[in-house]
Amino acid sequence: MKKKFKMEELDCANCAAKMEELIKKIPGVHDANMNFMTQKLTLDAEDDRFEEILAEAQKCCDKVDKGCRILV
Amino acid sequence: MLMRILVAAAGLIALLVLDHLGTLAALPGLVRLGLYLIPYAVIGWDILANAVRNILHGQVFDENFLMAVATLAAFGIGEYPEAVAVMLLYQIGELFQSYAVGKSRKSISDLMDIAPEFANLETEDGLEQADPEDVAVGSIIVIKPGERVPLDGTVLSGESLLDTAALTGESVPRRASAGDDVISGCVNGSGTLRVQTTKVYEDSTVSRILELVENASSKKARVETFITRFARIYTPVVTILAVLLALVPPLVLHQSWSQWIRTACIFLVVSCPCALVISVPLGFFGGIGACSKLGVLVKGSNYLEFLSSLRTLVLDKTGTVTKGEFKVARILPQETDEQTLLELAAHGEAYSTHPIAQSIREAYGRQPELSRLGQTQELSGRGIETTLDGRQLLLGNATLMQERSIPCPVLESMGTVVYCAMDGRYLGAIEIADSLKPGAAEALAAVKAQGVEQTVMLTGDRREAAELVGARLGIDQVHAELLPGDKVAHVERLLAETGERGKLAFVGDGLNDAPVLSRADVGIAMGSLGSDAAIEAADVVIMDDDIGKIASTIAISKKTMRIVRQNIVFALAVKLLIMVLGVVGLANMWLAVFGDVGVSIIAILNSMRTLRMGKRR
Repeated sequence: MKKKFKMEELDCANCAAKMEELIKKIPGVHDANMNFMTQKLTLDAEDDRFEEILAEAQKCCDKVDKGCRILV
Repeated sequence: MLMRILVAAAGLIALLVLDHLGTLAALPGLVRLGLYLIPYAVIGWDILANAVRNILHGQVFDENFLMAVATLAAFGIGEYPEAVAVMLLYQIGELFQSYAVGKSRKSISDLMDIAPEFANLETEDGLEQADPEDVAVGSIIVIKPGERVPLDGTVLSGESLLDTAALTGESVPRRASAGDDVISGCVNGSGTLRVQTTKVYEDSTVSRILELVENASSKKARVETFITRFARIYTPVVTILAVLLALVPPLVLHQSWSQWIRTACIFLVVSCPCALVISVPLGFFGGIGACSKLGVLVKGSNYLEFLSSLRTLVLDKTGTVTKGEFKVARILPQETDEQTLLELAAHGEAYSTHPIAQSIREAYGRQPELSRLGQTQELSGRGIETTLDGRQLLLGNATLMQERSIPCPVLESMGTVVYCAMDGRYLGAIEIADSLKPGAAEALAAVKAQGVEQTVMLTGDRREAAELVGARLGIDQVHAELLPGDKVAHVERLLAETGERGKLAFVGDGLNDAPVLSRADVGIAMGSLGSDAAIEAADVVIMDDDIGKIASTIAISKKTMRIVRQNIVFALAVKLLIMVLGVVGLANMWLAVFGDVGVSIIAILNSMRTLRMGKRR
């Protein structure tokens, strides 16, 4: 399943790149793209674990920049 | 944030004044340190907190950490004012940087502001405003004057002019009345339209275009991937250098600690790659945005990069350099007049479904009187033989005339010539031809002026027709009578010839060019508004059929690449220079902060120039 999420307070391009790296490494993620310009995260991951993976992705963002949130 | 900056700045200035007056010198050293720590804490507490938190998370080389170490080290060697000032300038720079990024992001999203907000859905209890996403296929919606068409559909009633500028860059409005298709994203003129929707929002033109543009930045250009990879090694390398600088000269060469720690701090401050990491994608995004303002969709920054080094442009003929409409171009009567000749031809072709017959009937403009016709016979590959008012009528190509020993002049044509003879006497010819798009020759000249070395035309059409078009447009190579597979083979060969020196683009109308579009480095589809297949297959989509936009797009790509390269060279050169000056003892912390945030801001401002390109003509 592929879904798009708005990001809040994604402030630095380098952080976005780091988050993308980390999210891509979550098991079950097929592909991820953190778009700094449009402030959007496109997440392509396994259907049945999607919610779990999304929560995991939020944790990855926290690691890089605490203020940044994935809006669901 | 602004408040914190002002408070900290006031505090720092007050302390500097007191220091200058000598008041602080009278106080014990620790008190002086404590006083400087107050503005430092005001301005930098979050940086310190983030640095600590990130280390705990294993994210070592982030900018918070670098700034924290650099400023704390400055405190360590007794440079209190510098420590506070560096933190202060860093925060000012960050604030300005996020302002600049936000601003450019906003101007980009304004560019893309084609998304409809609501649809006036017709229900049993009158009109209801609905979210376009909730409107089912086949629903009836009403588009009032000045509103944006929310969904693709067919007009049931009403008449209006639609402004397609946001989608195509084309300023001449399109007429829409009952039976016409309307495309979402256009702005309605002064009439009210009742429209039956044909697509859900997700599949409608506007949402597909938005999706394309938003995803464009995920196809990264080579420079972009280079910068991301570079950033990953740059920071650790500079940080390690900083540590070495702080330790080696004092320990090995017994030089002063404070001097080398200061140099190390300078390295730490300039080690953040942010200027590059932000400004390079921003530049590409701006370039893609500028193209879409022209009505040209570019599906990735890599294609923008390719276009900037375009060497070979391969073109399809029909629908690309010509209008793709077959019309009667010339009527050449002999021993009769134009109207009579056309009347004869229209009657002779009355039963034919061939496109040529259709264009002749169209030019005649009236219904042929079928009662005047006798037995009609199609002569395959030759033409038609029939009787009109009891007289024998022949319509066909030159071969037919020769076979019947009817002398006729041989005409050179871009299209097809229909020769006409009655009772064995030649009466004249009608030429049916596609016409060149207005401005096609100028457009190709402009493409050449942008550094394209050769233009090649590939077409399935007849050789004479193709060569005539090629000669009129100044095309370097013309290959005619090709099957779709031959086109791919030609593109392969041209790709090999173009080789390392540059890129090859193919321009077609996207209808039956899919294999060639995908084989070329850049596949450009033209006249694609509303054509899903073309939007899907191509890398660059020109929404209307203005061939002149190819040159404008190349120009934008070149400028984008120039700006991106300027930023890379500028940012790296400044950082390197500051590091060198730091080692020889000529740079201070103030300069280093400029090397970090100052350079970022200048690079961002430079990138924003890409947004101003592609002004509507």
